[in-house]
Amino acid sequence: MAGLAEWFERFVDQLPNTRIMQFVAAYVLVPFWAWRTPVKPQAGGPHYSVQPGDNVQHMMNLIMPLKDKSAVGRAKAALAIAANKDEIYAGLDNVGTVHFARFVIVGDNICMFSVYDGDFTNYIRDFIATIGSVFDAVVGLVEGGEDVIPSESNVEKFIDWVHAHDLYQVSDQATDLFRDIEAVSGATEITRDLRLLPRDLILQLHVNPNVSLGSGYRAYPGYSVAEVRKQFGIGW
Amino acid sequence: MDDTPSAQTSAAQHPTAQNNAAPDPSASDLVQAIIDDFPDHKPGTRPIHTIGVGVEGYFEASDVARSYCRAEHFGGQRVPVSVRFSNGSGSPVQHDGWNDVRGMATRFHLQNGATDLIAMTLNGFFVRTTKEFIAFTTAARQRPVRKASPWQKLLDMLQLKPPLPDPHPGQTASGDAGTLEYANAHPVAQLAVFQAGSIGAPVSYCRAAYHAVHTFIVTDPDGVRRPVRFAWKPVAGVRNTDPTLPPVDNYLQAEIRERLKQWPARFLLMMTIGESGDAFDDPTVPWPAHRVRVVMGTLTLTKVAEDQAAAAEHISFNPWRLVDGIEPSNDPILLARRDAYEESRKRRGGTACPFSHGAQ
Repeated sequence: MAGLAEWFERFVDQLPNTRIMQFVAAYVLVPFWAWRTPVKPQAGGPHYSVQPGDNVQHMMNLIMPLKDKSAVGRAKAALAIAANKDEIYAGLDNVGTVHFARFVIVGDNICMFSVYDGDFTNYIRDFIATIGSVFDAVVGLVEGGEDVIPSESNVEKFIDWVHAHDLYQVSDQATDLFRDIEAVSGATEITRDLRLLPRDLILQLHVNPNVSLGSGYRAYPGYSVAEVRKQFGIGW
Repeated sequence: MDDTPSAQTSAAQHPTAQNNAAPDPSASDLVQAIIDDFPDHKPGTRPIHTIGVGVEGYFEASDVARSYCRAEHFGGQRVPVSVRFSNGSGSPVQHDGWNDVRGMATRFHLQNGATDLIAMTLNGFFVRTTKEFIAFTTAARQRPVRKASPWQKLLDMLQLKPPLPDPHPGQTASGDAGTLEYANAHPVAQLAVFQAGSIGAPVSYCRAAYHAVHTFIVTDPDGVRRPVRFAWKPVAGVRNTDPTLPPVDNYLQAEIRERLKQWPARFLLMMTIGESGDAFDDPTVPWPAHRVRVVMGTLTLTKVAEDQAAAAEHISFNPWRLVDGIEPSNDPILLARRDAYEESRKRRGGTACPFSHGAQ
């Protein structure tokens, strides 16, 4: 019997790494707990803050699913960017608050990843003003994009649309997930049980499959584009 | 020990000490509370971070350090240092491979004195005040611990709850259950308890990052004062042991001896500058990653000290051993550490700082 008990202990210890348990977790346990304890998806983008250091070098991680989920669809997206390269670069120079920006195709998504200073809505407003036509060309290829173009005629709607496609930024500090859950669900709906924190994360990832892990590394945090360019003496 | 007017003013203005009706726990209470958490505590040893090793080396400030802080060790000259690495436990029994916070206490030997910087591998503390500290350490008293039954583990898995880790081989008691209960009832403690629960064991004392979790105020040559927090970042990188393998009880001291025989080990001293609105007086709250971060210099460790009794046991550090250019903040835990460290030193017969001039 002792041998059987030891075998059972070893079996249970190894169970989380077995295919059967991974299958049960993915197709039974996660859906069950998502039904039993419904979770609201967290909003995308950086957390609101009035502190200066929190309002420079924001990360935007825009994931936009393409309508045409084939190599042809991805090529159309790539061409939309390539055909407007001058317009994009000139626009970014004119916006003046962007540290880095790039378009990336990941699977069937066209993604825009950027680092910018200041308020999100003003950032997008500036973009609409400077490279709205490029956005229109790209967003026209994206699911649901036809509802918000031309962007110049749908500014607020467009901003909301972009915000909805910006990834939730999981906090740098693990237990801040409780704070985020409170923010969308109310303080009374969470247990703040540390042992359930992993489940809270799993359920958030169930309703919000793509997230940014942390706010990201910065080599020179706390400085705006303007300060960096001034320090290097490269002006505008 | 620092006895600068600024430091004394900071302590006198301390809000918690003044405003709470009930008296704050004394330094003796604080030290005893820690000792009570480790039933096998050996009199004459440190109540916590008991097992340690003394190392020698030097610190060289970066070119920009002096423009942020006028303290002597940031002047650019090579400054000899004594470092004590330690395991966090207050038990006299060595368990290097166990899940545990590690400590790195550094003394900078200056022309006419010394200053200490005390750091640990957690980036935040468990509590904000001395009263909370007593409650936390009371909750953390050791309780008998045994491996969870496989049925309990299965039940946890069905709830998408990671099963509790098995006790280490030979471990019969632990304070983990009490700290978890405390954290679930006191959200301020949750981050540190969560991180401490999975902090693991470094492959080397030189392959861990150490955080001096309290805020200090540094003054630059023009008199501008800035709130800052310091952290040591290992040039060799951070790396832990494989948690799936059985822990080894005794390897860290041999590892650092062997490492330093072959090549010096280096750490960058990073200083993060806080902003208005940051938690200056609350060590449970790490500052956002977006704060300006300055490289203040490089620590080079050259050899393990020959006299370990002096370098690892008798040496006494104190976060209030400061010099002109660095002041403590109003952090209540930082304030309490001043006298608690001194109380601990007296109880174990540690060496008084030769530069304290009689100050406590």
